[in-house]
Amino acid sequence: MTSESNATGDWSAALQKAQADMLRQWTEMSQAWAATGSTGAGAPAAAANAGGPEGGPESLGRAFLQQCEGYLGVSSSLWELLNRSTAMPDPEQRARQFTDGLAGLQQQFASLWAVPPPGAPPTMAFGMPGMGGMSGMGGMSGMGIPGVGGIPGMGMMPGMGGLPGMGGAFNIPALGPTREQQESWQRLLQLGARCAQAQMQLSGQWNDIIGRALRELGERLAPRLKSGAPPGSMKEIYEEWVEAAEGVYAQAARGSAFMQAQAELTNALSQLRSAQRELVEEWTKQFDLPTRAELNSLHQQLRELKAALAGTRS
Amino acid sequence: MPGPAEPSTPLQELGELPGRIAATYQSLQAASTVSFGASEKDAVYREDKLTLYHYRPIAPSANLPPVLIVYALVNRPYMMDLQPDRSLIRRLLELGLDLYLIDWGYPDGADRFTDLNDYINGYLHRCLGVVLREHRLESTTVLGVCQGGTFSLCYAALHPERVRNLITMVTPVDFQTSDNLLSKWVQGIDVDALVAAHGIVPGEVLNAAYVSLMPFRLLQQKYVNLLDGGDQAQIDNFMRMEKWIFDSPAQAGAAFAQFARWFFQENRLLKGTLELGGRRVDLRQLTHPLLNIYAKQDHLVPPAASTALEPLVGSRDYLALGLDVGHIGMYVSGRSQRELPQAIAYWLQRR
Repeated sequence: MTSESNATGDWSAALQKAQADMLRQWTEMSQAWAATGSTGAGAPAAAANAGGPEGGPESLGRAFLQQCEGYLGVSSSLWELLNRSTAMPDPEQRARQFTDGLAGLQQQFASLWAVPPPGAPPTMAFGMPGMGGMSGMGGMSGMGIPGVGGIPGMGMMPGMGGLPGMGGAFNIPALGPTREQQESWQRLLQLGARCAQAQMQLSGQWNDIIGRALRELGERLAPRLKSGAPPGSMKEIYEEWVEAAEGVYAQAARGSAFMQAQAELTNALSQLRSAQRELVEEWTKQFDLPTRAELNSLHQQLRELKAALAGTRS
Repeated sequence: MPGPAEPSTPLQELGELPGRIAATYQSLQAASTVSFGASEKDAVYREDKLTLYHYRPIAPSANLPPVLIVYALVNRPYMMDLQPDRSLIRRLLELGLDLYLIDWGYPDGADRFTDLNDYINGYLHRCLGVVLREHRLESTTVLGVCQGGTFSLCYAALHPERVRNLITMVTPVDFQTSDNLLSKWVQGIDVDALVAAHGIVPGEVLNAAYVSLMPFRLLQQKYVNLLDGGDQAQIDNFMRMEKWIFDSPAQAGAAFAQFARWFFQENRLLKGTLELGGRRVDLRQLTHPLLNIYAKQDHLVPPAASTALEPLVGSRDYLALGLDVGHIGMYVSGRSQRELPQAIAYWLQRR
């Protein structure tokens, strides 16, 4: 018992030290990025493309450190559970303890993998897990937030500031001289709600995948626990986890529930983004600023001119 | 009775982890200066965002017609010429082939209405025209890669007289094979809404889809594996690959919508219902010698998606060549470097 307590104490101390060391590394590297004015993960994609597209050393560094952090969380949790389980004398008990313990990790693992990252771009319905650390993604932050929060200055839209009852009456018929704008806002809010709903559905799917993956991991390792040959390192048990999770995901991702949830989120976010842009266009028109619709019209005219010119030449 | 798992190894692992992270991070920083591209080339034609390159010879000519390489829109073509020891282009040049390559560039907001007809009957047609004029030929060899292979098939079917030999590499033809996860996902996407929302579709959208095919491996494990160590050359290789993977041009809106709808959602190429520029793309018009190279471990373009080509074409000189590699491995793996260039050169020499 004493030696077990010591081992647990050693492990906790080592884990705390590793976490503290990693935090220190994060801080030092963040300061270094700041000092060099690195574009890093927050760089707009266009800028990244201009100077050497994303995947540069800083953005990769961020992604790398975030995934290392994730790895530490996953592998240390699994190892702790494994260590506790292997301390049981009875083979059946060992396997059961491990399997039961995995169920207790679902929430922790789901928080790592199941929730779309804040600031994900609208079409990030593809690729939920871990994308917060993807290089170049930060530059699109704000665009995926349901509602209007991501559009700066929207509250200043001419003619909208003084409308009575805009706080809650989004489903009543729009009235008066600004009824068109009211309808635009109503639509925006409805789409925001649709996005939130879709996001919840997809998160539910991910929660389910994580739960099934943990059960699969338990089933994969149970024979080894019973026979007294458990994984011998954090990396080994982590790799078992990845194998189990990818296997479960490969099946789930082909299922109609997952595909519908993913498509619904993608489609809802697309419509939300279009609705946001319509409002911005309305706003820019008020200030006689060029709009996307005007640019599109010019591009179309250019295409027609080029085609006519090519026809003349030929 | 087995005792508890020996904690010393993981304890050691845990203790060493921050140091390994720091060391790996330093190596990643040092990799910031890695160069890309191994072979010298000259721009011989430019139009809008597109550049047509001609590679400089590095070996005596094999006296074969020039080869026009048509790459995909969705990634950058330097994967074909990543570094001296991982370059299909360099290996082909060493065998005396005369190579041209279309680099589609980075579309921007001005390209939102550029459609598939523009790419295939416009840009591709004019690039091939440049090559044919330069060499005073009526036709030559076209090598299409991935989506560029699909474009090449369409082009050769519409303009069979300008293509002498056709080589397709990891090229999808049947976009709805049962093992194509990406295709399954695309079926439910409102493509018009997606394009309306973005105008040009950001590369990040495509990347997100690709990494989501195997998220646990591609978003975390591959970075964690860096901690296993390796010399700077290995880190440099990783860095080159990482850059290429996420160096994804935005997609011209109209072309993206057409490709997603006509190919993925409606499978028109396979069904023979695809039309471009008012003309039907009939693969039976492909009577050229045709080499169809596919990757047996390809999770992006499953083998069945490529091999579906054979019964659709009119060619009596059709060869399907499967390599035991993945999609990316087709460009950079040692096996591919050893076997593929020789196979291509050998096939061309006999036609």
